[in-house]
Amino acid sequence: MNTLEVKNNIQYSGEGEKLAASIAMIVVLVSFSMLFASLFLAYFYYRITEPVWPPMGMERLNLFVPTMSTTFIILSSISLFGFNHYFKEANQLKMKLTLALTIGPALAFMGSQLFLWESFKNIGLYASSGIFPSIIYSFTWIHVAHIVAAIFSLLWLVPISLKSEHTFKDENVVLNVGKFWHFLSIIWLIIYFSIFVF
Amino acid sequence: MAFYEQHIHPKPTTFLSKYIFSFDHKMIARQFIWYGILGLGLGGMMAMLIRWTLSNPGVPFPVLGNLFFPMSGGVVPPDSYAMLFTMHGTIMIFYAITPLLIGAFGNFCIPLMIGARDMAFPAMNMLSFWLAVLSAIILVASLFVPLGAAASGWTAYPTLSTLIGSPGVGQTLWAIAIFVLGISSTMGAINYITTVITLRAPGMGYFDMPLTVWGLWLTAILNAIFLPVLGAGGLLLVFDRVFGTQFFLAGAAATNGTGDPVLFQHVFWIFGHPEVYILILPAWGMVSDILSFFSRKPAFGAKATALAMTSITILSTLVYGHHMYTTQMSPLLTQTFMTLTMTISIPSAIFFANWLGTLWRGSIRFTSPMVFSMGVVFVFGLGGLTGLYLGTVTTDLYLHDTYFVVGHFHYTMAASVLLGSFAAIYFWFPKMFGKMLCEKLALTHFWITFLGLNGVFMGMMMVGYGGMHRRIYNPFIYEYLEKLIPLNALITTAALLMGIGQIPFLINLVSTLFFKKEMAPDNPWEVGTLEWTIPTPAPHYNFKNIPVVKCGPHEFGNPNLTTGRDFQYQTEELVKG
Repeated sequence: MNTLEVKNNIQYSGEGEKLAASIAMIVVLVSFSMLFASLFLAYFYYRITEPVWPPMGMERLNLFVPTMSTTFIILSSISLFGFNHYFKEANQLKMKLTLALTIGPALAFMGSQLFLWESFKNIGLYASSGIFPSIIYSFTWIHVAHIVAAIFSLLWLVPISLKSEHTFKDENVVLNVGKFWHFLSIIWLIIYFSIFVF
Repeated sequence: MAFYEQHIHPKPTTFLSKYIFSFDHKMIARQFIWYGILGLGLGGMMAMLIRWTLSNPGVPFPVLGNLFFPMSGGVVPPDSYAMLFTMHGTIMIFYAITPLLIGAFGNFCIPLMIGARDMAFPAMNMLSFWLAVLSAIILVASLFVPLGAAASGWTAYPTLSTLIGSPGVGQTLWAIAIFVLGISSTMGAINYITTVITLRAPGMGYFDMPLTVWGLWLTAILNAIFLPVLGAGGLLLVFDRVFGTQFFLAGAAATNGTGDPVLFQHVFWIFGHPEVYILILPAWGMVSDILSFFSRKPAFGAKATALAMTSITILSTLVYGHHMYTTQMSPLLTQTFMTLTMTISIPSAIFFANWLGTLWRGSIRFTSPMVFSMGVVFVFGLGGLTGLYLGTVTTDLYLHDTYFVVGHFHYTMAASVLLGSFAAIYFWFPKMFGKMLCEKLALTHFWITFLGLNGVFMGMMMVGYGGMHRRIYNPFIYEYLEKLIPLNALITTAALLMGIGQIPFLINLVSTLFFKKEMAPDNPWEVGTLEWTIPTPAPHYNFKNIPVVKCGPHEFGNPNLTTGRDFQYQTEELVKG
């Protein structure tokens, strides 16, 4: 026999879709990684070629707001790990709780970024003030653009947390949204340590 | 796991769902074909304006000159000339070749040749096309803004592309258009990669895939990895232009800056060199298959060809510095990049020899796809060999930024890819549209195009070797270049010939699509890959029953065959003696 009889009323196990979604998400994250890697290449290029960093007599920035952002995003990521765990256990109450603890700090992270830009403006630091502020503004803008997309994808988890029965599609969403959010947390940590701390 | 049963969308019934917002990979492929042909027309028109200016400086462009440039009496002005070569390059690379080979044939061939019903993510596929349309709208709109379109070359080097070099909004729109197209192509790449990994028909290992699919798959991998690099460069360029950041401004150009224009070149070429292979890999794959199909012989060293293409893909990521030898790069680095570049010759020679090995003593059928593919073998050979002089530091220092470079990259990226695209169009047209194109018109199309393009690009290499620089409005104000005017006139005549050569193609396309009644047979070329096992044109969801693959794609001329055919379908058990 040369063909497999495949009918339209086949029972979908979802394994195939799960694998496809997982591969696609990995490719997406590789693409995003290359975007950020190019930005970091630019940053290290400037940093290595400058005799003093920050250049042009600029001072290091106050770490308070970036540290708050870091705390929020780590908290959010840890809670999302919890959400994933309770999703597997189908513990609806704890899913709701951990999701709230994910989305809350995620919104707080957004807020802290807005506050960060406001605080820069207050000390007269604009994107056009030189290469150092150019880097800080651009990197945080691009990261926040991704964060906005990621927060919308976190909201996708809300209806899932309200359901008692879950399909394989729900499982796909939870897994891939998780990967995306953790990825953005890691990128923030690299920005925080390489640009703000060191 | 190589295969899973996909969710099946119902057959579209309305005009909108069938022709406009279609999920079907075959319809999206057709949309991309028209998109690419429009791009070819627009980019080709610009090429004619450029060529006219170079052979007849200061003379009004015939017929259409007064329409395009009424202020200068029909003569192409210098600023418009810079816009023309910028937009010509951009349109041809991103809006003609990319949609044709990757958009159209990637979409059409991948699911059909691997035995899948559609792409893994049909909705994303549709979105990818419409984002490409949005990007084209932005780019075309940039032609009509005050101060005109981008004029810094397709490479958009700062400071030409910053507000100092290009003060209008055109350059900003250019960068945004490329960014949007990057998102579209990345979406396509995600789909292609995932589809090839997860939706190959049962029994189809990676080396049972036709080489066309190999080429398209490797291209998708390069796209997914390197388009975001251009995206990052483009974003920073937009930030410099719109928000006043100082990434690419230095010295007097910057108010407080310590930015660096050369950084953009690094970022651009980290993307740009793999881009060359992004464009050519699908054509390599298709040519490798078509040569075997019409030589009626198994592809010589098919596995080695696939592996050679894979190693070129990997090596292509390590050689970008050869575009930047003249940027005061350290000799250690230039020599490193030179050595790595030369290394690419090894796998290139392998698959090139395999092509010749496939042709050797084959029962060659000179059909239109075959002659176009043989054309690719010829022009790619020339393009590849002339690349050696540009990859070598000592010769590149002389040849850099001359028309030799223009001739070289047109041979590889334009001539090879264009002929490859035409081969693909003639080959898959019956399965796409259900009708055969006229072979006589196709062969006329081939010979005029082939003669024309060799005249153009060979001529370019000659004037380049003679010292003529690229991107100069009127090179003949320099006394030493005056003697090159006749050769430039010859190049323009050849370009005109090449342009005229497209008329038989258009006549063929229109007459076949709209006036030809006779439908094509299911397997007009007598080829055994999976797309030829199904009715013509390919039906909704391709395969009524998912095929099981039992042999490779190039099983021709097996002496033990008793079926009366000289080929085997991939669904048939390999006949052994």
